[in-house]
Formats: sequence, C-alpha cells, structure tokens
Amino acid sequence: MLRGIRPKLTVCHMYPDLLNLYGDRGNIIAFTRRCQWRDIHVEVQQVNIGEKVSFEQMDFVFLGGGSDREQNLMAADLMEKSGYLREAIEGNLVVLAICGGYQLLGKYYRTITGEVIPGLNILDLYTEGGQTRLIGNVAVEVDLGGVRQKVTGFENHSGRTYLGNLEPLGSVLAGQGNNGEDKKEGARYRNVLCTYLHGPFLPKNPFVTDYLISCSLKRRYRDILLEPLDDSIENSANQVMLNRLIGS
Amino acid sequence: MNKFRLLLALVTAKILFFTIRFLGKGKGSSLPGSIALKIYPHLIRDLKSRIKLGVIMVTGTNGKTTTNNMIARVLEGSGQKVLINREGANLITGIASAFAREMDIMGRRSPDYACLEVDEAAFPGVSAQVQPRYVVITNFFRDQLDRYGELDRTVSLVLNSLKEMEGARLILNADDPLVAQFGRGTGLQSIFYGVGEHEGVSHRGSAAREAKFCPFCGRELAYRYYQYSQLGSYRCPECSFSRPEPDVEGTTPRADGAVTSCQVRFRQGSMMPLSIPVYGIYNLYNALAAYSAALLLDVDPRRIADLLQGYRPATGRMERFNCNGKPVFLNLVKNPTGFNEALGVLVRIAGRQTDVLIAINDNDADGKDISWLWDVDFEMLSDCQENFRQFVCSGQRAEEMALRLKYAGITESRLTVVGDFKEAVKRVLGGQTDKSYVLATYTALWPVERILSGYAERDQTQTDRLPHVS
Ligand SMILES: [Zn+2]
Repeated sequence: MLRGIRPKLTVCHMYPDLLNLYGDRGNIIAFTRRCQWRDIHVEVQQVNIGEKVSFEQMDFVFLGGGSDREQNLMAADLMEKSGYLREAIEGNLVVLAICGGYQLLGKYYRTITGEVIPGLNILDLYTEGGQTRLIGNVAVEVDLGGVRQKVTGFENHSGRTYLGNLEPLGSVLAGQGNNGEDKKEGARYRNVLCTYLHGPFLPKNPFVTDYLISCSLKRRYRDILLEPLDDSIENSANQVMLNRLIGS
Repeated sequence: MNKFRLLLALVTAKILFFTIRFLGKGKGSSLPGSIALKIYPHLIRDLKSRIKLGVIMVTGTNGKTTTNNMIARVLEGSGQKVLINREGANLITGIASAFAREMDIMGRRSPDYACLEVDEAAFPGVSAQVQPRYVVITNFFRDQLDRYGELDRTVSLVLNSLKEMEGARLILNADDPLVAQFGRGTGLQSIFYGVGEHEGVSHRGSAAREAKFCPFCGRELAYRYYQYSQLGSYRCPECSFSRPEPDVEGTTPRADGAVTSCQVRFRQGSMMPLSIPVYGIYNLYNALAAYSAALLLDVDPRRIADLLQGYRPATGRMERFNCNGKPVFLNLVKNPTGFNEALGVLVRIAGRQTDVLIAINDNDADGKDISWLWDVDFEMLSDCQENFRQFVCSGQRAEEMALRLKYAGITESRLTVVGDFKEAVKRVLGGQTDKSYVLATYTALWPVERILSGYAERDQTQTDRLPHVS
C-alpha cells in the first residue's frame, strides 16, 4: 500500500467501561478486523472517565451511548475535553458517534420537562425529548464517497434530533431516523458520522467501515486505495433485513 | 370476592385448557389465564388465599426456571403439594393460567405452596396480587433491552414493589451487588447465598459486566475477584456496602463432567456436600438459591441435598440427548451473560471434533434487537477453533450470527448458514464428530427441540452414565 512502511492507525474507544450497551463494541471489532485483514496495523486505546486523551494523535474515535446516568457521567467528562475534540474535528479527525454520543455533539438536549442540557456544541443540531421511544429496525440510503448504498441497523431512542445547516447521514427508507418526521437519519460534518443505528452498525455495513478507514488513512498518510475484501457474509446479513423492511 | 365470576372464570379456563390440548395447539400456557383474568380480574388474589402455607416467588434475569423447578422439586420430595407455573409462562397471564389449571373448582384440594417464577417487569403487578411470603432474586443482567428500556429501571421496579411488602422474606444472591442491595434497600428480613473464592475466579471484569457503581452512593465498586459478569466479592470504598457474608455458601466448587459439586457451608460453620447433575457455576448458584429457600421452609439440610441431586434440567437448560451414541446438548441463550456461560462450558467440554448449531430468532420473546450478540465473547472460541468441525447458523438472523462469528476470528470454512431448522439439525447430527452442541434463543428453542427429539433420545440417566471430560 505505502512503499516501505506499514500503515498504523490508532483507534480511540471512548468510555468502554461506561457505554457497554447495545453491542457497540462490534464497531470497534469491525474497524480493527478490516484493517488487520489488509495488513494495516491497529492499536486500540480505551479512554475512561477522568483519563487524558490527545485527540490529535488519534485516527478514529468511537463515541457510543448508554443509559441516562452513564450518559450524564460521560457528558461531564467530555465537556472538559470539548475544546480539544472540536479542534481535532476541524482538523478532519474521523469520528463515529452513535445515539447518546451523537446527541452530545450537538447544541443541547431539551428534556420532556423543559430542562435544557447543554451539549458540546460542535455540530449544528439539537435534540428534544419525546414521550415515546422510537424503537425498531431501520433501513437508510447512504451516499458516502460517491458510493450509494442501503444500510440497516436498530434504533432505540426517545430523543428527536433536528439538523441545522448540516447534511444527514442518509435518508430513511424504513423506520424512524432522527425524529420520525423529516425522513433524515444521522448527520455528517467533515469526517464525523453520526447515527441512531446502535450496536453492530459497522460490521453489517462494511462500506461505511471502509469509508472511515479510508478517511483515517488519508488524514494520517495520503489517499490510499483499499484492497477489496470478500463481503458476502456482511452483505447477506444486511440483505436479510433489507428484504424484510423494504422487500429489496 | 365475587364467587360467581370466579367460578365462571375457572370453568372457562379449564374448558380452554381441555380444548387446546384436544386440538394439539401448543401447551396453552397463557391464553386460558388471560381469558380468565378478563372474566374475573381478582382471580389470582382470591385463589391465592386457598394456598395453605404460602407463595414463593423467583425473579431475576437468569436462572428463574431452574431455581423455581429446584425449589418445587425439594418441596414435593418432602411431601408437600405444590402449584407451579410452566417455564416461560411468567407474566401475569401465565400465573393466572397456573392458578386456573391447578385449583379445583370447589376449592377442596388446595396446594400447600405455590412456586412462581415471575418476569422482572411483571413482578410488581404479580406480587401485589399474590403477596409472596418468600422472594428469591437470582441476578440482574441486561435482557431484551427493547422491551424494558434499561436495567436500572427494572431493578428499581422490583425494589419499589418489595418496599411495600411487609413480612416478606428475601433470599438474595450475595455475589451480585444489584441483588444484595435489596437487603438494605427494602429493610426486609433477608438471607444470602453465594459461591466462595476458588481457582476459577477471575481478577479482571468481563466486557459484558453490569453495575460498576455502588447502588447507595454511586462510587465505583472495588472487586477482590469476579465469579462472572458483576458477580464476585465487591466492596464500596465510600460507604459500608459490600458483599454480605452468605448464610449458605458453596465452597470449593468443582465440575466433574456434567456434575457440579461443592461443600455447602452454613453460617454457623457446619458443612454439607452437594452434587447437582447440571453444568456450570451458574447452575450452582441456582441450586444454592433453592437450598436456601428450602432451609427457610424447614426442610432438613441433608434431605435438600439428596433431592437436588436427583434434579433433571428443564428443556434447553443444558439438556442432554443421545443420537446413536453421540451426546447432543441443548441450551437456551437469551443474553450476553448466559451466552458467555454456555460458551465457557462449550470450550471446556468440546472434544476433538464438535459440531455447533446456533439458532437466533428475533421475535418479541427473543428480543427484537439482536445487537447483544456483539457483547458476547465469541472470541473465546477462536483460540480453540480446531476443536470445532463446523458452526451452523440458523433461525431468522442466521446470517447475522455467522457475521458475528466471522468477526470473532472463526475461519469462514467452518461457518455455514442454514436457515431451515430441520436441515440445520440434520447437519450437526450427521457428522463423524464426538459431540454436538445446540444453542438457541427462546422461540428457536421449541422447534429445534422438537426436531431434535425426532432424531435423538432424551438422555434420562445422565447422572450415572456420564463420561469424564478429557
Ligand atoms: Zn457506596
């Protein structure tokens, strides 16, 4: 791939001790494996509450979601690091933020009782608490790096997220997405991808994983074409859900 | 009490049981109960008063069925008449069914005890009606999140309903901080059971561990060792909360083939050997819970040990079949902790060549969200994968299961997807291998079990014919 050197990427798993819900760790596994299968060296750094992290040194940051209490602990800790995170994101740091992590990157979360919880204010979006939870399988059409594909996953959130001057990750084909109203799912900003599709989002949608790997390599090294892998198991897992949800 | 309505509800339910059985339409475990409740909503409350000595409720995430069956077995073995709800029928409708099925219309033959396994979310509703004298809590793990929302909520639901229950006595797992907190949290009289430190304990927490924080002050709990998940010897560095000293403790646990044994140590210091014909430390917990409950109910300690030794596992709880001399094991899986336990056993008992079938469905009863498969440590299989001939994935989410195994490091040549249960079962029974091992989620378990029974015999004599595991 790169003459003379073996590329190395550092994956930053934020708060794995706290946010171990919903199989989010599948995303770390998928990113790591797909690098290793291409002989890209990967190191995973776990960052827990109170620990220091240099976002500038990271290549891929994963931020998941948890229950309310865990969410609050994470928010308090990340608030102290928000300046560095913002800077790194402006410097094209690759980030995947899911559920609570997604909401936290926005301006605020207004609860159902009207309380306003400030977010990190890095992305132009906000979230309103809802009476009911939006739960179920989702299919979304996503356009990444010129490739248009259908991705699937599972959502479970009571917050309704609305985007300001920001691209969604994709458009909802089945399920609720950001708020159940505007057919938008997730958000994109520079190399940041946000989504409500929790759990094994990357394993089941390998082209998203490869997009994130490509962006990480490009930021650290240069534009490198990734070797294609045999994705037949990935694609058939995705296809089962697409058939069920949209019949194609 | 409305005697007429009660009578009408009972008669209707009994006719329904008869009709369902006559038509061969399943086991009819909750429909008659739900109709009976519509006819007479106070059915459970009224019938409950006919139970002579009291109601024992078993709740928690894993081990409810096994623990409840063990308690019922010990009570029946000591000459008591026991009413029990069928496994899985552990919502209010299932409890109503059990009452309607077991109680006679005129109220002449009354049971001495009722042993009820109750779903955690249904616990408040059921307990308010049956007013249990004894409540066993096994453990709390994440289970079917899309139904409950959050584990914290489930725990506080059960806790709050117990706070209102004067005079109930609790039988609590000392090793699970989420359960042990109920002693102080409810103020009810409690006895604790647990497993002592042994060679197999771990000094690192697993990925699927719950509840890292003290339930009373929120500080992170410090552990001396872990049994599995959050079970172990813990202590809060801030307040006085710590693992209570067990009244009934299983010490020096040992697995010998399919028999798990230990020395039960009572608080006063006396000891009693205990052997149960089931696999795994988690079943030891179930047996110790049943042991503690039976002690509270005044059964002789030696008698309890004898009766537990003759326990037969319920469908899909490491049940053993025999297919032309080849042992086949069937196990229900429903959450990361239970799945990890099952894999731990699988790694331990795998011979040189083992076939594995994993059947994953995503109906309501399985949990519609199967993301939890990624919290299971399938990676432990990849280190010893040459012991496995093939992993056959089946059920509605067969492809996703295969995907999980691929990313756990299992080579693709060992992975097959066979959607159809019958084909899948044939595949794992047919090979020239030492053993077959079948894991299935709730709604996949029944069809797989039916197919399996067609090809293999249920092993009835497992205690005396068990081979030693090499
Ligand atoms: Zn404390």
